[in-house]
Amino acid sequence: MNNFEPRIVAFLCSWCSYAGADKAGSSRKTYPQNINIIRVMCSGRVDPQFVLEAFKEGADGVLILGCHPGDCHYKEGNYNILRRYHFLKKVLMELGIEEGRFKLDWVSSTEDDKFVTIVSEMVKNVKSLGPLRNEALI
Amino acid sequence: MERIGVFICECGPNIKEALNVEEIAKYASSLAHVAFVKSHTLLCAEAGKALLKKEIIERNLSRVVIAACSPKEHESTFMKIAEEAGLNPYLVQIANIREHCAWVISDKVIATEKAKVIIRTAVSRVLLHQPIVNKEIDCTPDALVVGAGVAGIEAALVLAQKGRKVYLVEKSPNIGGRVVRYEDVFPKFECATCMLDPKLDEILHKNNIHVFTYSVVDEVLGYFGNFIIKIKKKARSVSTETCLGCGACFEACPVNVKNRYNENLNERKAIYIPFVGALPNVAVIDRKNCLHFRNKATENTEEKKCEICKANCPFGAINFDDQDEIIEIKVGSVVLATGFDSFIANKIPRSGYGKFENIYTGLEFERILSSTGPTGGEVILKNGESPKSAAIIHCVGSRSKKFHNYCSGVCCTYSLTFAHIIKKKSPNTEVFNFYSDFSLAGKGYHELYDKALEDGVNLIRTAGPDAVEVNEDAGSLVVKYKDAAGKESKLAVDMVILSTAIEPSEDATSISQLFDITLGSDGFFTEEHDKLAPVSTTTGGIFIAGCCQGPKDIQSSVAQGAAAAGKILSCLVPGEKLKLEATIAEIDEKLCSGCKICIGLCPYKAIYFDKEKKVAAINDILCKGCGICSAACPSGAVKARHFTSCEITAEIKEIMK
Repeated sequence: MNNFEPRIVAFLCSWCSYAGADKAGSSRKTYPQNINIIRVMCSGRVDPQFVLEAFKEGADGVLILGCHPGDCHYKEGNYNILRRYHFLKKVLMELGIEEGRFKLDWVSSTEDDKFVTIVSEMVKNVKSLGPLRNEALI
Repeated sequence: MERIGVFICECGPNIKEALNVEEIAKYASSLAHVAFVKSHTLLCAEAGKALLKKEIIERNLSRVVIAACSPKEHESTFMKIAEEAGLNPYLVQIANIREHCAWVISDKVIATEKAKVIIRTAVSRVLLHQPIVNKEIDCTPDALVVGAGVAGIEAALVLAQKGRKVYLVEKSPNIGGRVVRYEDVFPKFECATCMLDPKLDEILHKNNIHVFTYSVVDEVLGYFGNFIIKIKKKARSVSTETCLGCGACFEACPVNVKNRYNENLNERKAIYIPFVGALPNVAVIDRKNCLHFRNKATENTEEKKCEICKANCPFGAINFDDQDEIIEIKVGSVVLATGFDSFIANKIPRSGYGKFENIYTGLEFERILSSTGPTGGEVILKNGESPKSAAIIHCVGSRSKKFHNYCSGVCCTYSLTFAHIIKKKSPNTEVFNFYSDFSLAGKGYHELYDKALEDGVNLIRTAGPDAVEVNEDAGSLVVKYKDAAGKESKLAVDMVILSTAIEPSEDATSISQLFDITLGSDGFFTEEHDKLAPVSTTTGGIFIAGCCQGPKDIQSSVAQGAAAAGKILSCLVPGEKLKLEATIAEIDEKLCSGCKICIGLCPYKAIYFDKEKKVAAINDILCKGCGICSAACPSGAVKARHFTSCEITAEIKEIMK
């Protein structure tokens, strides 16, 4: 179990969070390679289908990062994903996908440290949960 | 058959040393549809760009993946090269192997494997990209400016100087905003009216500026490039053409009401000109207080309707039948320069304001200093005597957890200006400035501090903005304060001036709703970006200038007015079309069920319901391409261009392979 390397899909909004991840790179911060970043224009673009698809395809965790509430480049897109997130989390739990596998947070373009902390903790949590048995989705 | 080219940038040593570029190149060559792979020391350099262009053409590539730095860094650079090479720029995808790989993974083997995943994901995605053509639309270069204070005036003049037609709407009966009512302004104690008069004159006489005083914006339709605005011109009841501002009407008017243009310190008549020298020099009837209209309202037919002003006007300018008028205009852009309001000091009971006499707010004291104000510019007490001492209390309402967290930025400067003017007008008056910190950043501002010391002003540092209290004792005002060392003291003074905070104007919320822009937590209009786009908003074509965006001094307000006008001059050019965002949403009419979910969610009101076809439709001009609608559509009918569900799903699948 110790050798388990989870695969996590991370949807990052283009304006704050993707730039925050870029800053982590520019400042040469290291973080686990288990995170696979997909850029979206707004966290509000994340369709629940994408999350389900990721789990179906074998992801052990899904992370969504957006601009802080009030800072959304598109005014209120992050509030849309916030509402969707709470609902989707319940659906996923019904399907047997533990809470720790699906996470939404806010990272601004200057918060490279926060980005690294969120990613590292997510990887640690998912590692402790072990691989996802995703029969429910297949 | 698609021919994808994968170009790997070594980024000097940045990528080359962290990854095994050769191995990655070999891997990329093995991917389906990849026809050509090439690595280069520095793709963004001139040699790299030339190579990219040459290879796209010579190898007849149909799509391109650039494995390099973040798309935020050079996506537009490489899209431009692709376009020069004859490819649609949207057929390029960036694989971010620097910021998201080379720079964050220390183990070269792991980093190389990760780069392979990133590149193969980009290849699978680029295969699904569709060419996108930038759309252009007709637009009008004319502009609307709301608010005729210093910021709005500057915006209107800059636009008009370049020949643009400008509609300037001002809610007051006069133009010039707050500044025209000040006397001497910092840092050089320049006469504000003298400084502004030539500009106001130009505003009123320039052919292409249409001034609507005593008017408000009633309705806003349309979008960037093509707004349709309804202006409500309130009934002035006095003809602007025939009134000369001689004053015969208000000399005769029997009604006295508080004059808010003199901060309610004196009275005016029901027919009035706000203050001496107000432009345009035309009277206005305040219908709420005018006997003619009040009697009409109560239908008191017994009493004869008052028409004294009409009888006294030598020019026949009074028109009781004047009606509110709605004027429809078409403009391409809007500058909002709607100003600020002053903090209401009696919200802080310990300030003594409203309880005791001879306590004034900053704006009230400006009117006292003004030669056109209630005292003709004399600093006198209510009893007509000159004060022997005056206290100026800084930070009233600013820097307070209870009221405004922010520093209003101008109070220290105007407080020191007041101190200097009092000393100049009456050298024997003792002046005490109660401050907790000085904020005097700005050209020539800190010198005011030195001047205060030279003038013999007593600068008393207090423990904080909340450490000062004003009471009355034996007919005299007493300032009780805790100094910076924590020692409590009392000081009797004749007059107190409260340096009240700048706060959002009372109509900020309704204006923000009308023009669909956002308000910050402090209640001021929110700029698109606090540093890089300070005068634009997230709503296309709506710009902001002056104190409606946040507290600022005259020079900054004027600079913002000019900046907003500059933005408009550069983006809406007569004879040129307006370039639209390319990566926006589109609706597949065959799939749309007409549920309207997307319409309610769009933050830009860019989606409307096509009643004929019974489907949702996108306004290409308003759409900014966030994709919120696409994520919410239950039928999958909304396509977010360049971030389609197919493209994103392909990325997910490829990552998980």
